[in-house]
Amino acid sequence: MLAIQLAIKNLLGAGLRTWLNVAVLSFAFVVIVFYNGMLDGWNRQALKDTREWEVGNGQLWHPAYDRYDPFSLQEAHAPLSGEVVSLVQRKQLTPVLITQASAYPKGRMINIVLKGIDPDQQMLKLPTSLLKEDSGEIPALIGKRMAQSARLKTGDKVLVRWRDKNGTFDAREIHIAGVFDANVPSVDNGQFWIPLGNLQQMTGMENEATLLVAANTHTVQKTGIWEARDLDFLLKEFNEIMDSKKGSSKVIYFLLLAIALLAIFDTQVLSVFRRQKEIGTYIALGMTRAEVVRIFTVEGSAHSFLALLLGALYGIPFLAYLAKTGIPMPKSAGEAGIAISDSIIPVYSAGMVVTTILLVVITATVVSYFPARRISSMKPTEALKGKIQ
Amino acid sequence: MKKLILLLFTCFIVYQANSQDAQTILTKVDQNMSSTNRISESSMTIHGKRSSRTLTSKTWAVGTKKSYTEYLSPASEQGTKMLKLENQLWIFSPSTDRIIQISGHLLRQSVMGSDLSYEDMMEDRKLTDIYTAKISGEEKIEDRTCNVLELTSKVADVAYYSQKIWVDAERFVPLKQELYAKSGQQLKLVELKDVKQIDGRWFPTTVIYKDILKGGKGTEMKMMDIKFDQPIPDHVFSKASLKQ
Amino acid sequence: MIRFLLKGILGDKSRSLLPVIVVCIGVSLTVLLNCWLKGVMGESLVMNANFDTGHVKVMTRAYAQEAQQMPNDLAILGADTLTEQLKKTYPDMDWVKRIRFGGMIDFPDEQGETRAQGPVVGWAVDLLSAGSKEATRFNIKKSLVNGKLPSTAGEALITHDFAEKFKVNPGDEFTLFGSTMEGSMAFKNFVVSGTVRFGSNVLDRGAIIIDMADAQQALGMEDAAGEILGYFTTNQYDNAKATAITTSFNAKYTQNTDEFAPVMLRLRDQGGMAEYIDYSTTMGSLMVFVFVLAMSVVLWNTGLLGGLRRYTEFGVRLALGEEKNHIYATLIYEGILIGTIGSVIGTGIGLSISYYLQEVGVDIGGSMKNSTLMMPSVVRAAITPTAFYIGFIPGIFSVVLGNALAGIGIYKRKTAQLFKELE
Repeated sequence: MLAIQLAIKNLLGAGLRTWLNVAVLSFAFVVIVFYNGMLDGWNRQALKDTREWEVGNGQLWHPAYDRYDPFSLQEAHAPLSGEVVSLVQRKQLTPVLITQASAYPKGRMINIVLKGIDPDQQMLKLPTSLLKEDSGEIPALIGKRMAQSARLKTGDKVLVRWRDKNGTFDAREIHIAGVFDANVPSVDNGQFWIPLGNLQQMTGMENEATLLVAANTHTVQKTGIWEARDLDFLLKEFNEIMDSKKGSSKVIYFLLLAIALLAIFDTQVLSVFRRQKEIGTYIALGMTRAEVVRIFTVEGSAHSFLALLLGALYGIPFLAYLAKTGIPMPKSAGEAGIAISDSIIPVYSAGMVVTTILLVVITATVVSYFPARRISSMKPTEALKGKIQ
Repeated sequence: MKKLILLLFTCFIVYQANSQDAQTILTKVDQNMSSTNRISESSMTIHGKRSSRTLTSKTWAVGTKKSYTEYLSPASEQGTKMLKLENQLWIFSPSTDRIIQISGHLLRQSVMGSDLSYEDMMEDRKLTDIYTAKISGEEKIEDRTCNVLELTSKVADVAYYSQKIWVDAERFVPLKQELYAKSGQQLKLVELKDVKQIDGRWFPTTVIYKDILKGGKGTEMKMMDIKFDQPIPDHVFSKASLKQ
Repeated sequence: MIRFLLKGILGDKSRSLLPVIVVCIGVSLTVLLNCWLKGVMGESLVMNANFDTGHVKVMTRAYAQEAQQMPNDLAILGADTLTEQLKKTYPDMDWVKRIRFGGMIDFPDEQGETRAQGPVVGWAVDLLSAGSKEATRFNIKKSLVNGKLPSTAGEALITHDFAEKFKVNPGDEFTLFGSTMEGSMAFKNFVVSGTVRFGSNVLDRGAIIIDMADAQQALGMEDAAGEILGYFTTNQYDNAKATAITTSFNAKYTQNTDEFAPVMLRLRDQGGMAEYIDYSTTMGSLMVFVFVLAMSVVLWNTGLLGGLRRYTEFGVRLALGEEKNHIYATLIYEGILIGTIGSVIGTGIGLSISYYLQEVGVDIGGSMKNSTLMMPSVVRAAITPTAFYIGFIPGIFSVVLGNALAGIGIYKRKTAQLFKELE
């Protein structure tokens, strides 16, 4: 207790120098929390978007389906069996049928995939209710990226050619019923969403699907021929990307923290050097060397406590403001294949903040200890005289 | 492709149109088709976005199931050979000395940048096997009176659900063909011209094939020489002959 | 005087060693962070430039419209002449021809018939000419898993995962089967010289890299190229320069209505890179600024401490009759010297570590499938011209400022008090 009181007194007594160190350390602290908060926020938002727009609570796949191989689509479809049908009826699953096609917007030909989905589904955020229009035409939803690359907009008509299950060509004008703005590129790039019934009828694949998306109340497990693909599987790459982001950001924290710690280290070395008389006095007063080392260490690490206080002082309003307004992100970042919204709402979890606090305090203590350790090798008589050792 | 074209080329006049119904016409055409061995030399002109080029080739065919084609010119294609047996296709390229099988989705690719796919080329069934026909009227194409037949597929695995075919009422040669998707959307247009009498048959020696959706000037085929009922030894239709 | 001070600094370790070390560490951290941020922020930019966009790219207008479909029938004809022209007109850029293509790879069995086939995306780049930087741009040497780089015509690199799937090893032969510029069938035999892994699953699923001359021959594209890319010799994208070059190049063709006339696009103009560049530049600069600020505070503190702990010395010097101004001036000079020595050494250390991180990188094991931007699993630092001076800002400026502040105390000193202290 004495050590802490002394430490605080000494620190505050040193005035400007202490506050400079504290300012830098608090800055490192706030930036680390900010950066982690941003990544966690991004992670959470992207995860939420990906689940809401694309993967649901997992999916059931036709065994032949490979999401990266469009040629697999020719084989990857099967009728829904009894058990699956009942899950679909209970709104635990929603079927999606996928087939390759070509679209001919304004004389150009582009390869697309047609995805059939129930217009009444509520599981995915896709605005499928727009597909319920009754104009006798096949309505389609496309994402903003698709709209941009094909130069299509709501109300446009585009000729689409596909083949049915037997390979017979068919072609129809499809009416763009809506353009949706999703942060998830993988429900957008190169895709047309049309009513499931239409696609089943168009391809002659009555009651068939390529995959089924699970509702939040349903846990996927192998059902009949349908392979269960849980979130770990579906979000594997997503998680890898997040890990890679976290990996590279760690280097930044490390450097930032290193700077702050350098300041404390520097101060400590000088304190020990300049305050030899004081050290001698402590020892003369009957303190053991270890106790003196402790006083100095505590004094150094007290920087971190002050930094936490100072950081809280300006950091809390700053971080709270960002949590309210979000951090703007570039639109094109979404083209990297990962969900990203126009602004990220950072998330500051208690665990992350506590970890950061511990990180700052412990590292500050460690760098404070090393210079202070020199004290234990001092001769008190010399120290008292203030002689440099 | 060759099959389809040959099928059109070998449309044969036996009966007078007005005394026959559409189905009979088609049957006769198919009968003539399947009984024919032939050796032909033809050219194919492909109009690209920037330039056009012409390939020539020689084809040996027996029935509808077996055919063997060798490209003669231009120099870059010379010696390239294709062998079709039933529904399998192999290509030999002399520059690499390799026989490569074309299968799966590759069959849906365009042949030599033309408006035909390998699959179009592979179609070898008789019209009567895949379509039912009815006469929908009479029209004139370049002063020739034609019966217009509407063909609708009666089997599932056919590339074009329906066709409209203009058959010369006297010579029984198709002069125009429109290929449709199930929805009624036209996909391809085939025009057959320069009808000549060869070995006692009337025969269109120019065929222009257009992909309606793709646009462009289409692909033009000219039959330079065709001989029917020639003896063709069976070893021609083997992979070994590709490398010779 | 400088020599005298330098002697003092070198001789009196207690006065110089610690500040120099601290400045040195601080400066090297600043340099390192600058390079790291530039590297991380610019990573996908560099990848995109190297693999796809160049710093500027020349295509025909028609090709540019459909560039994603790799429409080689719309490629630049007379590409050699155009490349020579570009080299002459814009000599401070490296101009390279490239062809991107799609095709099938067909692996033969013992009879030379098809054993297996797989679809690939391909790049034709100049691998064989002396002095070509293309292999470096594709980072081939480091991506090589087995075998070696192509050293003669007819050799190709294929991605490792693809090779494994089809059980192929370096030395094996295969046929590339695609379509020529005119649309005819293209066949060419290649020998696998090596297998590569780029860390981008999009590519690793099936890609082939062959030499430009081989591709031109195989695809019937003699004297043609899909794209001509220009790279600044500094390897850094300079938007102002790119804009100037693009404007002057395109101006020559404004009267030309031919859809096959060449058109030049900046990196910025391609594939939604504009916002990404703006964002990463802003964020990167902001972070570097904040970091330099933090570092300045730390080093200022060092300077301050360095000055403060020498009050006794100043007292003695004042007592000896030295002018206050003179002492103050020497203090400032010393600050400059210490700052300079620390900054030079620190920048050296920072650059060396950055260089290591630039060349070797840190493998963070993440990668992306299904993406249009390529995302590497190895994060690297990037040494930019800024890195050479950025460290001097906190290094010299802050130390001097610290010393200057500490030195103010000199003027407050009273001689009487000094003698007291001396006792």
